[in-house]
Amino acid sequence: MTSKVLGMNAVGGMDVTGVIYQYTAVKDKDDNFVVTVGNEDLDGNYLWKDTEDWSGKYGMKIRKLIPLAFLPIAKFGKGKIATTGTGSVEDANVIYMYRFDACFDPQSDPSCPGYVKPIPVVPKIIIYDALEDDNVKDATEETDKELIEEKEESNEDEEREEDEMQLQMALASSTNALTIANEATQGSIVKAMNTATNINNYYVAKIVGGAYKETTSLFGGDIVDNKQVFKDLTQDKLHNKMLEEQYK
Amino acid sequence: MKYLLITLSLMLSATTAYAANIDITGTVQSRCIVNTDTAGMYGNPNAYTLTTVPASAGQLPIVRVDVSLANAYNAKISYPTSFSSSPSLGDTVAWTGAATVVQTSTSDMSGYQAASSLSGAMRTYALTVAGTTWFSVASVATYGGGQQKPFPGGSYKAVVLAECIAQ
Repeated sequence: MTSKVLGMNAVGGMDVTGVIYQYTAVKDKDDNFVVTVGNEDLDGNYLWKDTEDWSGKYGMKIRKLIPLAFLPIAKFGKGKIATTGTGSVEDANVIYMYRFDACFDPQSDPSCPGYVKPIPVVPKIIIYDALEDDNVKDATEETDKELIEEKEESNEDEEREEDEMQLQMALASSTNALTIANEATQGSIVKAMNTATNINNYYVAKIVGGAYKETTSLFGGDIVDNKQVFKDLTQDKLHNKMLEEQYK
Repeated sequence: MKYLLITLSLMLSATTAYAANIDITGTVQSRCIVNTDTAGMYGNPNAYTLTTVPASAGQLPIVRVDVSLANAYNAKISYPTSFSSSPSLGDTVAWTGAATVVQTSTSDMSGYQAASSLSGAMRTYALTVAGTTWFSVASVATYGGGQQKPFPGGSYKAVVLAECIAQ
């Protein structure tokens, strides 16, 4: 049953205790006329109904009280006044009597028995970090030429460090591979050790002999600078200076 | 020996006299209740007429009669034939009225009006079905004995009599 039918908010905890209906049957005495007032349940069957057979009776105004055994409002469907035969129903009015259990849902009021204090749900807050926003990064990227150069130099340094790191890792990998190989070939290692032991005898041997003196000597004249080289170096310096000038 | 004792006992009883009065109580609940549903009001469409007809700004009094036992009571409804209180009246008042079944709690009562009988200002209804019946009473008072004299100014009251009498 909806609020439109009841004229009020239909909520849980409400039970209908009775219905008062009234209408005026308009008919001739000799006509057959049957009026049924009731409510359907949610399946379309009558939840309750009351039938008046006016056949062979004078038509007049009727007011009737129908007690209901505390029917939960959730069971109420469409209400209707159905007629069969010759006649009509006028000035119909249906009044529902009800009781309301405010603690139908114990959580509706802290004073209700069975009320459990609810645990609040902490919402997951997503923190916006503007420094991680690509759009912000693009917008705040440096446009100053010196800063760009510094950044490029920084990038070059990073690339260099990365290359060195990769080289170290490659060497470490080789070392590890050799270690594994050595461990796998214990026999070879023992053999190599024995070989080294045998060679040490030769390392500790002393060669009997004196000093080897300088025997080469240069005769006369000065040692002249290489002009071609000097010229090249001069040109390079000039060239570098020219390059630096364009950034000032 | 046992037999003798019993005989003796009887003999003792026979020689002693006892008397007792035992109350019998009972309550009879009314199975017919008369209630005022709507109080009446006289309208004054002209100087010499007082009427309960709604078209003349009056209000029909409505009496409700509840019976819980069928074929046990008669409802007797009388329209007024005199004022219970009024200013001093030096002329005659002509009274007319009618009692009518206006509403019932079941269609089985729809024949009450047709089956009722009228005696003077009183209409008698046989309450053959358990349930509730609403009666309205129309009352018209005309002053001056046909000469259309105006009612003296003041407050007027009249009484509708509704009775529930066992058949």
